[in-house]
Amino acid sequence: MTGRGEVTTGPLPIGQFVQLVKQTVVRDPLFNNQALKGEVTQWKQYASGHTYFSLRDQDGQMRAVIWKGRCAIDPSIKEGSEVVIIASIDLYVRRGEIQLNVERIEPVSVLGELEKTKRLLVEQLRKEGELDRLRQPIPALPRHIAIITGAGSAALADMQRLIENRWPGLRRTVIGVLVQGPRATEEIVRGLAAARRLSNPEVAKRRGEPPVDLVIVGRGGGSPEDLWAFNLEPVARAIIASPVPIVSAVGHESDVLVSDLVADLRASTPSDAIERVVPVLPELHYLLDEYEERLGVASRRQIHDSRQRLSILHARLRVAPMAGLNRAKANVLTLSSRIKVSTQRILGLQSTRLAHFEASLSAIHPQRVLERGYSMTQTSDGTVLSSVDGLNIGQNIILNFADGSADAEIKKTQLNEGTK
Amino acid sequence: MTDKIPTYTEATQRLEAIVAMLERGGMGLDETLKLYEEGADLLRLCKTELATAEGKLNELQLDEIETQLQTEEQ
Repeated sequence: MTGRGEVTTGPLPIGQFVQLVKQTVVRDPLFNNQALKGEVTQWKQYASGHTYFSLRDQDGQMRAVIWKGRCAIDPSIKEGSEVVIIASIDLYVRRGEIQLNVERIEPVSVLGELEKTKRLLVEQLRKEGELDRLRQPIPALPRHIAIITGAGSAALADMQRLIENRWPGLRRTVIGVLVQGPRATEEIVRGLAAARRLSNPEVAKRRGEPPVDLVIVGRGGGSPEDLWAFNLEPVARAIIASPVPIVSAVGHESDVLVSDLVADLRASTPSDAIERVVPVLPELHYLLDEYEERLGVASRRQIHDSRQRLSILHARLRVAPMAGLNRAKANVLTLSSRIKVSTQRILGLQSTRLAHFEASLSAIHPQRVLERGYSMTQTSDGTVLSSVDGLNIGQNIILNFADGSADAEIKKTQLNEGTK
Repeated sequence: MTDKIPTYTEATQRLEAIVAMLERGGMGLDETLKLYEEGADLLRLCKTELATAEGKLNELQLDEIETQLQTEEQ
């Protein structure tokens, strides 16, 4: 490609420019496998087998071509028909014209018919109670998964890759079927029947593998018509009748398919199905290792505790006969020491009290008073004198001191001032 | 435990219960040993289960599998 560099040096040849435009346009995923609807005009089928027409509505139009044998063309399509097409954009370089390469074309009336059939089927299944039937549980650990999908499809490659990431080597049997077109329904039903036979223990034994215990049936996304087999009664009935749990895994976002309604598990895409039913093996191993560790630790601790309890019991058993005696002895000891203590306390209290008493007693003893310099006066007949009143001049008295006594004679008496 | 071989889910649930009981403690030696044995058996079973889930990858067209089945069912 002589590149954009030439644009700066001189004019670009138009042919090269159209090539550039084409490359940009056809690479855009938005313009690839796009579902489009509109009215057919200038419908022309050539002897070569190619069909040319324009698809238009009130806002715009574009040329379209159906290459020979590219897809089935409903004979009812004619000038003015409303159709839905799946097409990719292309640029016819020689003329510089953009056109649509058509992969599928369906008259809209057919789609309407399909919708009506589907509604009736859902209604019927609901009436039969099939929509509320008890679903089969998905095994926590699938031993043998059957995958019914398009052989060599992108959806299958995605599923295989995801399984290998999660559980390398997980046992599985892929049953390659047509998932769109007129034979799809029949093939999907036969695929389900084959999976059912693989779930038979007798057959499985002969094949030397565990019976199939989980079935994934599905395909990648597509136009409503492409997915239509999954809306048809034979497929729905085969899913309902399956003795093995079935996951419906059709890649689509908007509409719910009948297979989704009747399956044991609905996955939004084939990859989603794998993520929901295939465990991550290293996580399972980790969990088991953890159990093993906990089991070992807890058991060892239990055994250790039991042994310890045993040795304590043993020791207690050995001293049991002495225990009663020892207890009595201990009681006696406690009692006697308590008695001793309280006796001492009582004695101590009393001797203190006695000492106090003694002290106060001795403070008032006459001898102590005399020792402080006072003297006691008595008459010769021993009466203690406490008043001057009644003493006569010349009367003999005795003066008592702390260390002895003296005889004395009254010379004079007088009353203290203010004393009566 | 019953004589029936437990499923993987049943086995892991029982394992959890056993480990919890042992961790709570306070049981006799006899019971401890019995629970340990049961737990070890369950662990072995779970590991075997994980190993047996690995196997052949068959990728067959519908016609091929039907032909195979036809001969195997005779």
